[in-house]
Amino acid sequence: MYNRLDNPWRVTAHYLCLVVLAIICLMPIWVMVSTSFKDQVMIFEGKPIWFFFFPTFDNYEFIMGRGRFDRFLWNSVIVASVSTFLTLFLGGLCAYALARSEFKGRKFVANATLLVRMVPPAVLAVPAFAIVVSYGISNDLAVLIFFYTALNLPFAIWLLFGFYKQIPVELEEAAIVDGASPLQVFFRVLLPLMKSGYAVAGIFTFRIAWNEFILALLLTGRRTRTLPVAVSGFLTDTGVEWGRIMAIGTLIVIPPLIFTFFAARQIIAGLTAGSVKG
Amino acid sequence: MSDAALPSRDYRALTPYLFIAPAVLVMAAGLVYPVIDAIYLSFFNWKIGTPFSTADNVGLSNYARMFTDPDVWESIWVTFRFGFWTISLEMFLGVSLALLLEKPIRGASIFRTIFILPLMVSPVVVGLIWRYLFDARVGWINYYLGIWFGIEPQVWLGDAELAFFAIVFTDIWQWTPFIFIIVIAGLQALPSEVLEASRIDGANWWQQIFLVKLPMISSILLIALLMRLIDVFRALEVMFIMTGGGPGRATELLSLHIYNRAFDAQLLGYASAIAVLLIVIVFVLSLAILVIGNPMKDKADV
Amino acid sequence: MERLFKSVAIALLTIVVTVNFANANPYEKYKGKTIVVSWPALSHFQKAEKLIEEFTKETGINVEVDALQYLKLRDRQILEMSKPRGEYDVVSWVVMWKGEYVSKGLLTPLSQFFTNGALVDPKYDIDDIADAYLQNGGVVGGKKGYMPGKSGALYGVPFGAETSILAYRKDILEKQGIQPPKTYDELRAALKKLNAAGTPALTSRGKTGHQVTAGWLLHLAPLGGKIFDDEWNPVFNNAAGVEAAQIMREIAQTGPKGIPSFGFGEAAAAFLGGGAAMYIDTLKIAAMARDPKLSKVDGKVGYALHPVGSRCGSETGGFAVGIPANSQNKEAAFLFIQYITSKAGDKRMVELGGDPIRMSTYKHFNDKFAEYPVILEQLPCADPDWRPLIPEWNELNIDVLGQALTEVITTDKPIQPIMDAAAKKARAIMEREGYYSWANYRK
Repeated sequence: MYNRLDNPWRVTAHYLCLVVLAIICLMPIWVMVSTSFKDQVMIFEGKPIWFFFFPTFDNYEFIMGRGRFDRFLWNSVIVASVSTFLTLFLGGLCAYALARSEFKGRKFVANATLLVRMVPPAVLAVPAFAIVVSYGISNDLAVLIFFYTALNLPFAIWLLFGFYKQIPVELEEAAIVDGASPLQVFFRVLLPLMKSGYAVAGIFTFRIAWNEFILALLLTGRRTRTLPVAVSGFLTDTGVEWGRIMAIGTLIVIPPLIFTFFAARQIIAGLTAGSVKG
Repeated sequence: MSDAALPSRDYRALTPYLFIAPAVLVMAAGLVYPVIDAIYLSFFNWKIGTPFSTADNVGLSNYARMFTDPDVWESIWVTFRFGFWTISLEMFLGVSLALLLEKPIRGASIFRTIFILPLMVSPVVVGLIWRYLFDARVGWINYYLGIWFGIEPQVWLGDAELAFFAIVFTDIWQWTPFIFIIVIAGLQALPSEVLEASRIDGANWWQQIFLVKLPMISSILLIALLMRLIDVFRALEVMFIMTGGGPGRATELLSLHIYNRAFDAQLLGYASAIAVLLIVIVFVLSLAILVIGNPMKDKADV
Repeated sequence: MERLFKSVAIALLTIVVTVNFANANPYEKYKGKTIVVSWPALSHFQKAEKLIEEFTKETGINVEVDALQYLKLRDRQILEMSKPRGEYDVVSWVVMWKGEYVSKGLLTPLSQFFTNGALVDPKYDIDDIADAYLQNGGVVGGKKGYMPGKSGALYGVPFGAETSILAYRKDILEKQGIQPPKTYDELRAALKKLNAAGTPALTSRGKTGHQVTAGWLLHLAPLGGKIFDDEWNPVFNNAAGVEAAQIMREIAQTGPKGIPSFGFGEAAAAFLGGGAAMYIDTLKIAAMARDPKLSKVDGKVGYALHPVGSRCGSETGGFAVGIPANSQNKEAAFLFIQYITSKAGDKRMVELGGDPIRMSTYKHFNDKFAEYPVILEQLPCADPDWRPLIPEWNELNIDVLGQALTEVITTDKPIQPIMDAAAKKARAIMEREGYYSWANYRK
């Protein structure tokens, strides 16, 4: 912390730097939000307008009505929340076992998990396409949920593993002595202590599932499109409908923004988990 | 602990497998199987819209073609160029800003919250926003360049060099805060005694940075660098939206190249062969991370 | 006994009436069904949504439209059509995909509906549809597999089909003292003159891939060029092909800024927004120019024939609609196609701001729209062999020509080597697909 003895100019300069950086980070997001309230004429003048007093809700009205945005929103919500739940549930069990017990193959599973974490989505695209064509099962949200769960599991396991390691083993041993079964130990003793760990893993999982584009583009149809795919459909041939695109963009960004404001600390914990050993 | 309080031995031995099985199965089916499938498909000439049973088994010819295909090499070259510029600039900016602003300050958490916003925005939306800003006709960047510097409107996304610059710029906007935040976290976790000792020894500000602080966070920097490098090989959404890989192949990173080959040119088998190449590259980079700092190993061996 | 007789009579009567009623309305059987249509998010198709409302009101058949960016249609449609059960009942394809769709067995031959008396409206009059459109969009299997010919079969009906014309700003050309160019020499002179005057000359597509190739093809045919000769040897690197590429480069240099990033939408928007003096591309521009939402130049636009090089040759392109082989509602889908392409439907499309496909419609509105007489004069020049509509075209179009031509319009490198390299790649693709096996066999 700065104290009174520090040069006030330095303090001011420090804040100034931070403010400039913050503006750079926020500017494009503000451009999106403000553009979503502009009409076509304002946008096509090509003159930046930062603030204005008569926002139009036409863009939102359109996407909610004829844009069938409700359907896409619902798909996104289902896919992101179900896959997040599955990831946390399965990943939590797996991380717990890896953190707590010695068993044959443990090292292999741990290392393999870290390796598959890096599989690029583009690599999955062709096989995923081949699988759904062969079995004729695309346009089913379950397919997308399955792939998102698989994509997110490695990172979730990795994060949760670290959190489990921080909980003293003695707590569980005491519970076992009291006659609790392994499942009871897991649900009654550990879960309550793991809240923040699950929050971090949950946010990251949800973020990936909510934002993912390329697999969703291949695996969803007219009814099952998620928001990121739906928004790319607005890059039409009769000119790009910037107002409507920005309106959907704004709505896509809302949940991650909410997470950011309420759980910035957890997100930073997740970001640094990979590189900084605390 | 008495033996009587524990469940039978067999049961205990099986429990961990029971716990890991569902996750392992999902990962095997959703990640490992597709990779194996990609390797298998790479031996075929299979076109979209025809049953797989009619695909020709062409042996290794997809690979032979790949290694002599200038388009593949151009795309790899673009990927490395993109990786070089984005990562070095992000590292430079992120680390220097972190060193300048590492001192704890009132209100830091608000700023940190703002700095992670770009990371949380969906890549598709990032691509859309910057496509709008770089738009030749209605984009704000052309407007301000004209007003402030008298620069003629540029066709940012229609010129090979400018489009490449645009995607690099966008990536820097999105990812510099990431480097900044993890470096700050690393710096603030440094033991204060060491810094104090170096100051007493008479090290000046520059010496402290280059002889003490940077070496001490070098492993953090290395892992961040490798993770960004892997991200570069995974990236395609922002370019997909902003340029679609064009003009020409100027912004077609390897992932996007695979996508375009598979679904534009409809060469599923050939695209799979390139995908196998991508897997190998990413696999090598991941192994490097594992060797340098396996988080599970570290903590498990404590 | 009498009562029994009476009730039997009533029952019989009811049956007869019901049957008669069913026969009275060909749509009755399909009332309440929902068909799903996959088509592009282009102006013509957006206008057609009103026609769809009228169709549903009249027939009771519900229609859901899945409108996508037109170059994204193919992925989606092929994916749906290659599944055992697809989502789509009607698909609209760019004519260049018809060969691929049919060769992969994805479409239903329309003969099975046109032979069904309960479905076909005797007044439909398919011969009234402009021949160039019908052959180009709907017939597969003729000469070379995609051209008109006796072995062809009908798979689709044109809807949103097109040829190319020249549109120009009357005010700008008049101010510069330029006559609308009739030949390619005049066109090139006009480009120079407009450029010297500081006016963006001709708008064009130029985005990497399909778009830049489409821009170049517009000039290839009139200059006498072709993609392949009759033996499938690539010949687009001959003098005509290189000249067309040279013209593309000149257009990019003298046109509105940003041609290398323009798809059709951007190219049209540049003209409609007043940012270019001329436009050579699909006739769709005329209806768009009248739409106040899209255009600032209504009333200032004149139309003329596509300029002539060594011959007259304009585009054959646009869209056709057909029925996937895996559709679950084929008959209702056919009724829908028949409705929107009928004489009444075609006229209605024009009233709604779309483009017609029927000669009778063109003649009906001939005095009303400035471009219709031009189109009628242009149609005989529409070249059915404008581009090879073979399954391999997509790869050639996007991966080979689309890349080479980007190099042409964004660099100053000599054109001949670029086109030669592309021809070599094209030959390798044709070799791979076995097109030369007959020539080799005969040797």
